[in-house]
Amino acid sequence: MAVCIAVLTKDNCPLYIACDPNEDSLKLHFLVHTSIDVIEEKLNSATAANDPRDLYLGQLYPNEDYRIYGYVTNTKIKIVVIESISNPLKDGDARQLFSKVHGAYIKLVCNPFYSPGSPVTSQPFLSSVASLMRAKTIA
Amino acid sequence: MSRSRSAVDPKRVSSELFSLTYGCMVAQLLKDFENPEEVNKQLDTMGYNIGVRLIDDFLAHTPSVTRCTTLEEVAEILCKQGFKMFLGIVPEVRNWSASKDKFSLVISENPLAEYVELPPHCQDTLWYSNIICGVIRGALEMVQMDVKCTFVGDTLRGNDSTEIEIKFVKILEDSLPAGED
Repeated sequence: MAVCIAVLTKDNCPLYIACDPNEDSLKLHFLVHTSIDVIEEKLNSATAANDPRDLYLGQLYPNEDYRIYGYVTNTKIKIVVIESISNPLKDGDARQLFSKVHGAYIKLVCNPFYSPGSPVTSQPFLSSVASLMRAKTIA
Repeated sequence: MSRSRSAVDPKRVSSELFSLTYGCMVAQLLKDFENPEEVNKQLDTMGYNIGVRLIDDFLAHTPSVTRCTTLEEVAEILCKQGFKMFLGIVPEVRNWSASKDKFSLVISENPLAEYVELPPHCQDTLWYSNIICGVIRGALEMVQMDVKCTFVGDTLRGNDSTEIEIKFVKILEDSLPAGED
């Protein structure tokens, strides 16, 4: 199940981080922070690689308790999903989850009163990310 | 945009551009004037200027439209042809007053307000789509009809529906043989 979904800007500032309340949020924040390095490394090395339109980076690095997946959009917005090792996400599911989070982000950005880069307070975005996190617990 | 990927319909793509443009304009107006009431007035004035020009375009493209003799006819043409032509929606006409001089237009899906969420400080005062009121007022004034057009509800504000109230005031210049019923 997804225990954390994080959205980061191109300067690696956190736009929005949602953690499962049962987990230690500090540890999850730390994991998100460390995954930034891995994402940057992948981005710098994958220049001539098979870049599909949206860079789904797959599993970033192994950890004893969690699996960490990354995704980067063309505008360098990074989405990181951490999920616990007990219920691993299949590749197709992970891609779908990322594209749904990306879709929610697009709707957020289309709001003329939201300035990109500022902290997210939009209710529709918060509730759709929350439901995506919950949905994976049922799947 | 996620939607334009699936259906490359030119009309659909330009409607998103239109919504974004209008949204940026309202956001800029809010930044410039800071007072939502003032922004409402500005939107109404802008709409009025659009309406006085739009009516000629509308009448040129719909030769089947003849002079209206009743307010009901005006409402029908406004919704079924006017709104359909420019915004692609057909609002519902409701709440006729007893003296038949006032009615409401209920818009189910407002293309201007896609993806919009009002900031908390103008949640209760800003009428986001107030430009529509101005357009209706301006257009009808050019056909010698003086109306008062105001918003009474907006889904962006948390009301049940987006509703515009149109109240007939008078015929201008007495040039119609019969005004309203």
